[in-house]
Amino acid sequence: MKTWQKIQHHQSLIDRYLVRERVIDDIRAFFKQQDFHEVETPLLVEHPGTEPYLEVFETQLQLADGRSKKGFLTTSPEYSMKKLLVAGLPKIFQICKSFRNNEGLGGMHNHEFTILEWYRTEADYQEVMKDCEQLLIHLVGGSTLTYQDREYDLTIPWPRISVAEAFERWCGLSTDEFLEVKNLKHKAEELGLSVSAEDTWDNLYSLLMVHVIEPELAKFNQPIFLYDYPLSQAALSKRKVDDPRFAERFEWYVGGIELGNAFSELTDAQEQKQRLVEELQLRKELGKKEYTLDEDFITALETGMPEAGGIAVGVDRLIMLLADVPSVKETLLFPTEDVFEV
Amino acid sequence: MSSIKAGSISKGMYLLFRNEPWQVTRSDFFHPGKGSAVQRVKMKNVKTGNTQDITYKTSESVEMIEVNSSEMQFLYNDGSEVVFMDPRSYDQVAVPLSLIEDKVGFLTPEVSCYVITYEDEVLGVSLPAKVKLKVEYAEDAVAGNRVNAPKKPVKMETGIEVMAPLFVKTGDVLIIDTDNGQYVSRG
Repeated sequence: MKTWQKIQHHQSLIDRYLVRERVIDDIRAFFKQQDFHEVETPLLVEHPGTEPYLEVFETQLQLADGRSKKGFLTTSPEYSMKKLLVAGLPKIFQICKSFRNNEGLGGMHNHEFTILEWYRTEADYQEVMKDCEQLLIHLVGGSTLTYQDREYDLTIPWPRISVAEAFERWCGLSTDEFLEVKNLKHKAEELGLSVSAEDTWDNLYSLLMVHVIEPELAKFNQPIFLYDYPLSQAALSKRKVDDPRFAERFEWYVGGIELGNAFSELTDAQEQKQRLVEELQLRKELGKKEYTLDEDFITALETGMPEAGGIAVGVDRLIMLLADVPSVKETLLFPTEDVFEV
Repeated sequence: MSSIKAGSISKGMYLLFRNEPWQVTRSDFFHPGKGSAVQRVKMKNVKTGNTQDITYKTSESVEMIEVNSSEMQFLYNDGSEVVFMDPRSYDQVAVPLSLIEDKVGFLTPEVSCYVITYEDEVLGVSLPAKVKLKVEYAEDAVAGNRVNAPKKPVKMETGIEVMAPLFVKTGDVLIIDTDNGQYVSRG
């Protein structure tokens, strides 16, 4: 049965779906009160993000004279929003659709989803953590969130745990050990996960993150910030001054569910270009769709990108928490399964 | 036996893991975004009942067990075993209660069941997605807040309790979802 039919049969279901409307109104109000400008950036672009492990939807832009160009749906509006920081907008946010292909039909993902991004200049990721704290308290309207029969204490400050601390605490690996592929491989094997010779450090890291770390984060009765990611996991964020093997990135978790991903934005054009070129190369090796670098983004950084912090938040997951439903599908009036016969 | 990609593991499937048969009780897709996508799977050892969490890369191959399933009729539950009969050969099969504890509340002789075996060993029993059960006892509808509490517990012929709408009466036949034990509609 399609979602619209379920609602037709059980009118009381509509309240759950209308939580979306309220959450989006409240997000807008939260940012507008603080003098953020709401912006709109393109969803259809020639140069989408270079994340090697995300797959994009491809289409074609055709002109009346017969010329055509490959076009892609964005996996996030990040590049365009950073160009607007360079253009001189100091505080901006956007609520828009983003698209990621080759995803499973699980409860935490939908191929077409709603993303919230905000950026503030003269700030770093620490300020963005404070924004997250205030935003969730604003949306919940109090200091306790009840989700799936568990209570989460939203009293600030929320715990902040670095990725290195997490691997030390729950995988027993020191920072130096954690950065070596052989140690991750050994740990994964010890846990009975299957490991092959081709597994890269990043693959093993993802495996352990989902298998060990996220279930541990799920035990906290408070939201958590997991921060300072290894450089290879943070292509668009600024390196840490005191340990350049790590970068200023954080992820925001509630009940083990990742809600957002934030950076102190990398402003160095040369370093950014080099990291994006490496990612495009890795995309090629992984057999992902190929496209070229957004040179206009590099030009923007060369022009002078102000110091800034920014974040992408999964709005569907936020709504899932506030509607107290176990899956993002139960917040969507038309989940992918209703739109495609899959 | 056949290989499948871990990304297509779904609830209810039987997998061969460390040379033993396991049934998948939960399977979730995760994509951390900065690494390969993974499938987090919870499974239960069919022989020992032990549970195991495992995380696979979605592109990894796993061994799926090709099980035999034969239609059988439920006869009785003696408290430690549940006995089924093949309606054609009259052969009887006893299934340990521990394997189908979550399903016995849906079993009546009218329900068409499939007994699942692998190498002559019973792994479990598969039921239709929905079954019809008779209400053994339902309290008369009580006046109250019908907007917030439109349901009441009713006792079914098999002994399980189901939350059903207030209009349901003793003797009604209800359609119940065997996946979560919830009321679907009147039969």
